[in-house]
Amino acid sequence: MNSAVFEIGKFARLTLLWLCIIFGAVWGVSWSIGVLLPAVILSQSGESGRFWAQLLQALVPVVAVALFVPLNTCYMVLAERRLLALFTVRKGPNRVGPDGAFQTVADALKLLLKEEITPRGADLLMYTLAPVIFFAPSIIGVMPLLAAVSGNHPLFTPVNLPTGVFYILAVSSIPVVGVVMGGWASNNKYSLVGALRSAAQAISYEIPLLLSIITVCLLAGTLDFVQIADNQRGSLLNWNILGGGALTHLGIGSPWWSIAAALLLAACCILLFALYVICACAEVNRTPFDLPEAESELVSGFNTEYSGIKFAIFFLAEYTNLFIVSTFAAVMFLGGGHAPFPGLEDACISGLRGLLAAWFGACTPFQLGWLVNSLVNPATVSQVFWIIVKSYALVWFASLIRATLPRLRIDQLMDYSWKRLVPLALILLIAVTFLKELV
Amino acid sequence: MVPEMTEELRANKLKTDEMLINMGPQHPATHGVLRLILKLDGELVKHCEPVVGHLHRAQEWQGQNRTWFQYQALIDRVDYLSGMFTSWALARAAEKIDDVKVPLRAEYMRVIVAEMNRLTSHLLWLGTFGIDLGAMMGLPFYPFREREELLDLLEAIAGQRMMFNYIRIGGVQNEAPPGWFARLFKFTGSFPDRIDEYEAILSNNPIFLKRTKAVGILPRKLAIDYGVTGPTLRASGVALDLRKVKPYSVYDRLDFAVPVCNRDGDTYDRYMCRIIEMHESNKIIRQCIEQIPGGTADVLREKRKACSACGKANCPHCGGDLAIMVKKQNAGLRVKAGEGFAAVESPRGVLGCYIISTGSDTAYRIKWRNPSFSNLAVLPELLLDHQIADIMAIFGSIDVILPDVDR
Amino acid sequence: MLGMVGRAAEGFYQVCRGLWTVFKHSGRPPTTKEFPDVMPELPGAFRGRLALAVNPETGEHLCISCRQCERVCPDKCIDITAHKSPQTGKLELIDFKIDHGLCMFCGLCTEVCPTSCIINTSDFEMSEYSRGALIYDLKRLTLSQEESAYYFAKKDLPPPKPKAKPAPKPEAAGDAGESLAQQPSDVSQQPGPKAEE
Repeated sequence: MNSAVFEIGKFARLTLLWLCIIFGAVWGVSWSIGVLLPAVILSQSGESGRFWAQLLQALVPVVAVALFVPLNTCYMVLAERRLLALFTVRKGPNRVGPDGAFQTVADALKLLLKEEITPRGADLLMYTLAPVIFFAPSIIGVMPLLAAVSGNHPLFTPVNLPTGVFYILAVSSIPVVGVVMGGWASNNKYSLVGALRSAAQAISYEIPLLLSIITVCLLAGTLDFVQIADNQRGSLLNWNILGGGALTHLGIGSPWWSIAAALLLAACCILLFALYVICACAEVNRTPFDLPEAESELVSGFNTEYSGIKFAIFFLAEYTNLFIVSTFAAVMFLGGGHAPFPGLEDACISGLRGLLAAWFGACTPFQLGWLVNSLVNPATVSQVFWIIVKSYALVWFASLIRATLPRLRIDQLMDYSWKRLVPLALILLIAVTFLKELV
Repeated sequence: MVPEMTEELRANKLKTDEMLINMGPQHPATHGVLRLILKLDGELVKHCEPVVGHLHRAQEWQGQNRTWFQYQALIDRVDYLSGMFTSWALARAAEKIDDVKVPLRAEYMRVIVAEMNRLTSHLLWLGTFGIDLGAMMGLPFYPFREREELLDLLEAIAGQRMMFNYIRIGGVQNEAPPGWFARLFKFTGSFPDRIDEYEAILSNNPIFLKRTKAVGILPRKLAIDYGVTGPTLRASGVALDLRKVKPYSVYDRLDFAVPVCNRDGDTYDRYMCRIIEMHESNKIIRQCIEQIPGGTADVLREKRKACSACGKANCPHCGGDLAIMVKKQNAGLRVKAGEGFAAVESPRGVLGCYIISTGSDTAYRIKWRNPSFSNLAVLPELLLDHQIADIMAIFGSIDVILPDVDR
Repeated sequence: MLGMVGRAAEGFYQVCRGLWTVFKHSGRPPTTKEFPDVMPELPGAFRGRLALAVNPETGEHLCISCRQCERVCPDKCIDITAHKSPQTGKLELIDFKIDHGLCMFCGLCTEVCPTSCIINTSDFEMSEYSRGALIYDLKRLTLSQEESAYYFAKKDLPPPKPKAKPAPKPEAAGDAGESLAQQPSDVSQQPGPKAEE
């Protein structure tokens, strides 16, 4: 028992280390480019530097994403391996760096240095383009989430689209093109079968996924991430997973049908969340829907022939997609950057503010204080903290699913989508629309 | 079960082509070096031809060119997951020719180690079956953890984890080391709970049920026609278990059940049969530990220490039933002239060994009847009109060991 | 319809049960053996690298060059060079080679050895950069006195009897005189090596 607790502690330490690295680096670089450098430029060259300052600020989301994606993948792969090790009474990678913290960095380096092999008879152009097409949407897809994650921080406001939800859904259907291209261009029959499976799967599961998201949008009344997250402010009961505040509107004097409708709405939303999780698993090719890869059937599916950096890109995209769907779920269903209990968020913010004041407040001159304030904004930190906890909790849950469930067969997969999930999604869509009016 | 798309497509004059896929011998899921030449219509298997022999090591020929003493050490390699059974079949056939009565304690020891070996084999099968079905990460590790414990025990008694060379012509190699029986007994106490845990993960899982129920149905008649044996046969409703039908060794003194499915077996039935067999093997081991003449090795060792007559003819603690070997083996081991066949129930089915001996220190002819070979022969019939994913489920469920096929 | 809902609920429950069973395992101690850091505890019967033991008490080599191991080895990986000593007329071991690249660790040689000289050690780390390096000669095979004592105790082998040596001829005894002088009585009590053959 003791050694098990020890292992869990190691995992927690590793997670903390990596989250500090990821978010420290991303935010540090974003802040230096978006706040510090423009301030320096403006103070040095006045009006003539304004263009450059604005250009730098516009670049911030791109740089942030470019930094975030590989770092995040490094952590997620490591976390998954350590978690699977925990679930399967092993220790997992623990050699590279303290406690194996840099195992994935070493793996990534190895992949980058490996020889790239192009199979004979492969369509070289398509073969090379496939990982790019697979990967590009995940970079583009992270961007609107930045605003939601950072609580609409001024630096990331430009990437907050009013129709961010649709944007992500549109973008997330592109990767399958890359999969089909890669599978076809590899000149390998296993790859081809994997690619075709992937196409079928992506099309079938996009529909219930879309329907469940639309239902949430209906519930929230907006397509804007920041708005959706803000609507769920307050407490657990306001989250979309429990009907988006339907339960909080109830009072002692509410009529019985209102109470019943609110409860039903909450039940529907929980089902909706389950639906979303299932479809998201299928969208990002995770167990039990990892048919395109299906190691025991198709060797490695569509990426059988890929090696070196091209394989690394596939890998990167896969895990980034997993993070995207998790964050998406955190924003859409789990209250975004808001704490589950009413007082908790304020406590976080005021506690942080107190800490900052204790550390920097007394002794720093005014201008430095402003810089520190813009570097560590308590409200943003609290937002980011909660959304990170929620997203990674979902990522960990995906690992748990991966450790448990066997894989579906392709016809069963299609059956499940078209005969179960799509009708369920439609029923839920209608039910939520009516119930929302009744509450 | 399988959508009949091809007929409609042909009716609509959509031209489809069959795809020839060469699965293996380096495919990750063919359990070694099996090569399957598959004709696929989309995802459907239209024709399957297993190509065996990649692992052929001339085990029978080697038996004719090695002395008995040397061949015993080699024969574990035929079926590396259940080396005890190959040794046992060889030993029984040779003992039959030699007309040797194996001491009772040795027989009990044989049953114990063989059932342990059956457990390790079934546990490995369970793990790889999970991998075949796509439960890649979690389930496979749990059976392997228990298998590790058993292998440690087998290593302690036989010297190696898989190539035991423990069951010998005329008995078993040596007495168990101190504390061995206690460790084994402790393991058997906790093992049923572990099996329940595997079952909690798999047995009722809806995805697992969908993947295994009504998949790869092996009708009773087909199974008999192909000479399928072992749990694969019993899942198809034929109660053929040599331990029950033709009790050898001390199996007639033990109380255990043989799971038989009373309908045409599918993948799920084969899975359930093996799961129940694990429970039964566990029971057998416990009974053997309780019944073994002379008690556990530690008890016996104490008694022998206190005994003054040890080594003499009238000693109650050595020799007779309590010996582990008829007489100490040496390099000049010979088997009388004659021929004999003996079979044991290995984890994969009936494992038979036929020997012709001329009385020299090598066999004149050795023939093995390996269960994997006949079980594999039925695979093309089972795979017909199933999907690619089912190949793995079915192939995993008939539990074939390729070295056993190719010898 | 209701049946479908019931099945879905049942399926959901079973999936949750599986997930919970897996999750429970995270609270159990890991079974990983961190091999290079923590060496496994191998049983005495373990059949590892072959080695030649010496008498743990006196340190004399136990091999009597009877070639039984060479004969029984299924892989023919043992090569013994011995000659008849011109002085005593007895067999004298010159070299003992084991090709561990061929050896299959069946342990038959250890079973037939009349003096428990050749034994399976618990050593299993023997990777080399060339095949030639896997051929161990007499010097590499022979264990030290302490190692021999360790393995004799671990494998529960009967302690070897001191090998009988013929009385030294006066001209050959120049350097070995002292060690032989310690056990003159043993020499007279023990039967000669002929009896063993």
